[in-house]
Amino acid sequence: MTNNWPENLEKIIQEFKDCFDSMERYELLFEYAKKNPNSLPIEEWDEENQVLGCQSRAHVECMLDESGKFLLKTGADAQIVQGLMAITAIAVNGLSAFEVAKLSPNYVEEMGLKSSLTPSRANGFLNMFRRVISEAEVLAEI
Amino acid sequence: MPLDIQAIRADFPILNRILPNGKQLVYFDNAATSQKPQCVIDAMTNFYENYNSNAHRANHTLADEASAALENARSQISNFFGAKPENLIYTSGATEAINLVSYGWARNNLDEGDVIVVTEMEHHADIVPWQELSKEKGVEVRYVPINIETFVLDMEAFEVAVEGASLVCVTHTSNVLGIRNPIEKIIDMSKKSGAAVLIDCAQGAPHEKIKFEDLGADFIAISAHKMAGPTGIGCLLTTSEKIQQMRPFMTGGSMIKKVTTDGTIFKDGHEMFETGTPRIAEAIGWGAAVGWLDQFEMKEIHEHIHNIASLAGNEMKLIPGIKIYGDPNNKDSAGAISFLHETIQSQDLAILLDEGGFAVRTGHHCAQPLMDALGVPSTNRASFWIYNTKEEVEAFVKHLRYICERFS
Repeated sequence: MTNNWPENLEKIIQEFKDCFDSMERYELLFEYAKKNPNSLPIEEWDEENQVLGCQSRAHVECMLDESGKFLLKTGADAQIVQGLMAITAIAVNGLSAFEVAKLSPNYVEEMGLKSSLTPSRANGFLNMFRRVISEAEVLAEI
Repeated sequence: MPLDIQAIRADFPILNRILPNGKQLVYFDNAATSQKPQCVIDAMTNFYENYNSNAHRANHTLADEASAALENARSQISNFFGAKPENLIYTSGATEAINLVSYGWARNNLDEGDVIVVTEMEHHADIVPWQELSKEKGVEVRYVPINIETFVLDMEAFEVAVEGASLVCVTHTSNVLGIRNPIEKIIDMSKKSGAAVLIDCAQGAPHEKIKFEDLGADFIAISAHKMAGPTGIGCLLTTSEKIQQMRPFMTGGSMIKKVTTDGTIFKDGHEMFETGTPRIAEAIGWGAAVGWLDQFEMKEIHEHIHNIASLAGNEMKLIPGIKIYGDPNNKDSAGAISFLHETIQSQDLAILLDEGGFAVRTGHHCAQPLMDALGVPSTNRASFWIYNTKEEVEAFVKHLRYICERFS
């Protein structure tokens, strides 16, 4: 699915491309974090759904909904990570697990946030994304 | 004579760097590692380009030159720290130096029931080895708390803890709070209690002239890379008496007199603890670094850093939502300021600062017991050194204020 994003993700990518500068992009991310419709409540953060790292707390829950479609819920104390995962959830929720397992994180680069993909920001977005993909692979029985 | 900061900055090519986002680099992560002057880079490059060879192993010209350079660096570095060359054991850094004390001295001289005193502001390098020793040998580890209002070591608690101690391990300067501990008093009290003393000078050495023989500690751990030297090298400074009490924990090449199928006779002194191929280029680089530093009075360096750290701390305190951990106005403070915003998470804050070109650290800084004492999971940290300027601090405060207004 590289560069062939789900329609609702395409709209978000364009929204970020229209931002004036990086600070406006981060401000938009903070907004997505705040209004995350797929938020994992803090009461449900536990060791099992935690993505381990040293700089911030991050949690993901992946499951299939009643119609067998992928459902991602996310929680992170860092708003940049939470915002990126909120966008990811908007993109993947409602897809098949197989489709999710094939997703690339490169949409973040198209949004102008390439630095979020660097290894030094581990337990940031990339670690959470990889966790989502591996869970999607399990759910898709790949 | 006041420091000519612009002339100093000209020695550091990396300070001219424009980041991929188009911003001028402002490097405020010196407690993690310092930048390197051109002379250090040139010294290491010159070694690899012109006389790279293994040291102490052959009789050809390159080997002679490499051996001489390695030992010349030992003399330079030990002299810089007020020690004799034979009291300097090269290590990979302060962490290995502390582990050498743990494995080389403590395991051979301490037993169940003996007491090791550390503080809750120590770097993990000066906590974990003692916890491991405790599990292995049943020694007791006592933690001296800090005062979380003033951020200084609780010396009344230290006085109690040091009673009956066999080893006291204290950081010279906190990598989180920038606070310099009263190490002279600590050493004196420890000696009176009959304890050996290890001072972790990883953060102290870039800010103050460490004079090993004057201080009277038994062990001092130092890292080169925080004081203009390369990564991968440091040293343990220790007394001849303590070397006699130590056994090597890494064995193999270099450190032997004779090996037969019946056994091995080790070398004496510091040579017993330098196993394998030495870190030759790194030692030469570190020698160049202390040579570069020797053109300044460390007191002037400290005063400059203290002035800009005070400016930073006092301005940052005026930003709504910012809390400072440590006391940059403390005359002994070594220029590290830990801070948090009440609503902007620390990793977010660091990333947003990076967008402005400002390199700061975020995390637990390898000091999780200190984070627990402060009641926070992590902090942001700005740490200054000789090449940082008042203008950089003013720009940093301006950008921080902008972030706090826009994102809180």
